[in-house]
Amino acid sequence: MGDKNKKWFSLNLNRKVSNETTCGCGKSSGGCGSHNSNPIPNTDSKIKSIGGERTKDGFEQVFDVKMDRRTAFKKLTASLLIGAGAVSTSCSMLTGDETKEKAQIDWEEQFKGNYKLMTDDEKKGTVDRLMRSYELRTGKKINMSSKNANEDVLFGYAFNISKCQGYMDCVNACVEENNQDRDSQMQYIRIHEMKDGRGLDFGEADDNYYHEVPAEGHFYMGTQCFHCDNPPCVEVCPVQATWREDDGLVVVDYDWCVGCRYCMAACPYDGRRFNWKKPEVPEAEINHNQHYLGNRMRKKGVMEKCTFCVQRSRAGKNPACVEACPTGARIFGNLLDPNSTIRWVLENKKVFRLKEDLGTEPKFWYFMD
Amino acid sequence: MRKLVFGFVFFITLWSCKHGEGEYHGVIEKIEVEGQKYHGSSVSSEPYIEGTRTIEITEGAHTFLIPERKGQIKSYACIDCHSKPLNQMQTEGLQKAHWDIKLDHANENTMNCVTCHNPNNMNNLRSLTENDIDFNNSYNLCAQCHSKQFEDWKGGAHGKRIGGWAPPRASFTCVNCHNPHKPHFESRWPARFNTQKVQERE
Repeated sequence: MGDKNKKWFSLNLNRKVSNETTCGCGKSSGGCGSHNSNPIPNTDSKIKSIGGERTKDGFEQVFDVKMDRRTAFKKLTASLLIGAGAVSTSCSMLTGDETKEKAQIDWEEQFKGNYKLMTDDEKKGTVDRLMRSYELRTGKKINMSSKNANEDVLFGYAFNISKCQGYMDCVNACVEENNQDRDSQMQYIRIHEMKDGRGLDFGEADDNYYHEVPAEGHFYMGTQCFHCDNPPCVEVCPVQATWREDDGLVVVDYDWCVGCRYCMAACPYDGRRFNWKKPEVPEAEINHNQHYLGNRMRKKGVMEKCTFCVQRSRAGKNPACVEACPTGARIFGNLLDPNSTIRWVLENKKVFRLKEDLGTEPKFWYFMD
Repeated sequence: MRKLVFGFVFFITLWSCKHGEGEYHGVIEKIEVEGQKYHGSSVSSEPYIEGTRTIEITEGAHTFLIPERKGQIKSYACIDCHSKPLNQMQTEGLQKAHWDIKLDHANENTMNCVTCHNPNNMNNLRSLTENDIDFNNSYNLCAQCHSKQFEDWKGGAHGKRIGGWAPPRASFTCVNCHNPHKPHFESRWPARFNTQKVQERE
């Protein structure tokens, strides 16, 4: 996005100012208060709720909405804190360029919009900022992608119940690939050990067994986010921080999520996880190949879940669980490609989905040999 | 008055239908209809199989890549050692070759070494009707008995992909996952145990 289209006031703490400001204080930071630029937008424009809105940019989403007093104060306080931080660093003679750049990034990240509504340039902008921010904070580089859904792709998954032996290699691979919190041992995948002859009884099943597997008289069934085509979690999100992408992936914008956990309650499959504390991963174990909607580092108080490893799948690779499975119980592919292996499974094996009667249309099928 | 009530009910029914569901009754119909418009996607898994030497096979309606095998066998070609017929090579007192191989595949009545290996030409495998089968195409040997698994493997329901989901399809062949002399999977301990979950559920 060009500077001219920007609706918020850029601090330009560390850059040459593109629009010449003539201010008595000799600074372009705006700290003196006599600058003309006005960060508050025109409030006359028609006020709409975000529901169903697809045209408003991030700035309008923040400011141009109906909100109660509490929310307004919350937002104001947060913005003021960041603003104050930015101003104090910019006015201080002691702070280095890096601190100023950090403040600048924080400012822009605070006012960015919902990822879902961003243009490709804006997506690239936020990803670049997040990469730079990580570099400034840790001194290490990461590679973050904002790759959109590929055309003519709809992802689907099949799970062979008779092949899974309960080794849980998939869970390990998932945790490592997706930078999940090691402390709370968050896991997207659950492997349920079920008794033969008792049907699919998830209440009776054990999803945290620790004995030699496969155990006599049991079978194993994995669950994770099913990437429903009619996802109830998306319906209930009050801020539209989660949505269904064109390739069928149900994703979360961790920066837009307010952590209300409605989606967690709405999901009939226990597919979503909540960060009760700041997720921590030892620096040496961090996967540096990231996607904005995927395995980038999350923060406290946001939802996350399986994304079919969006950072891998959009590049043509299989999700980490599929690659790690030693028994070949997991099959992944493009549902729209008539020659794909996933299509062959759907057409030639007896497949079923969980709770099909709910009409959620999961894109995750189970089958047996 | 009645008209008004009917009108009201009609109006409510119309509006209570959920909107924005899309034009399909379920994802299966969507796949069928939109799949007809499929013209191939720009994604390719070629970069991920570059490091693997593959051969292309066509079985029935399926054409795909499998890893080349002969180059992976340490002591191929076999006739470098097997220069004489087997019975002449089995001399008492000499160190045994292949001492580490113990056949654990079906029972003794069904299988022994020469069910698959050709004692007269060690460079090739041998079908039940004594036709040669190349080591690269050893799946043909397995398919003689495991025909159901063979069907599933050809379609992609059995076995694993190499690289990624995107075309071209490259799949492991039987012997990449199963040791042909001992084809079953061993039981073992799970790779992970969630101690936090135990605490939370106490």
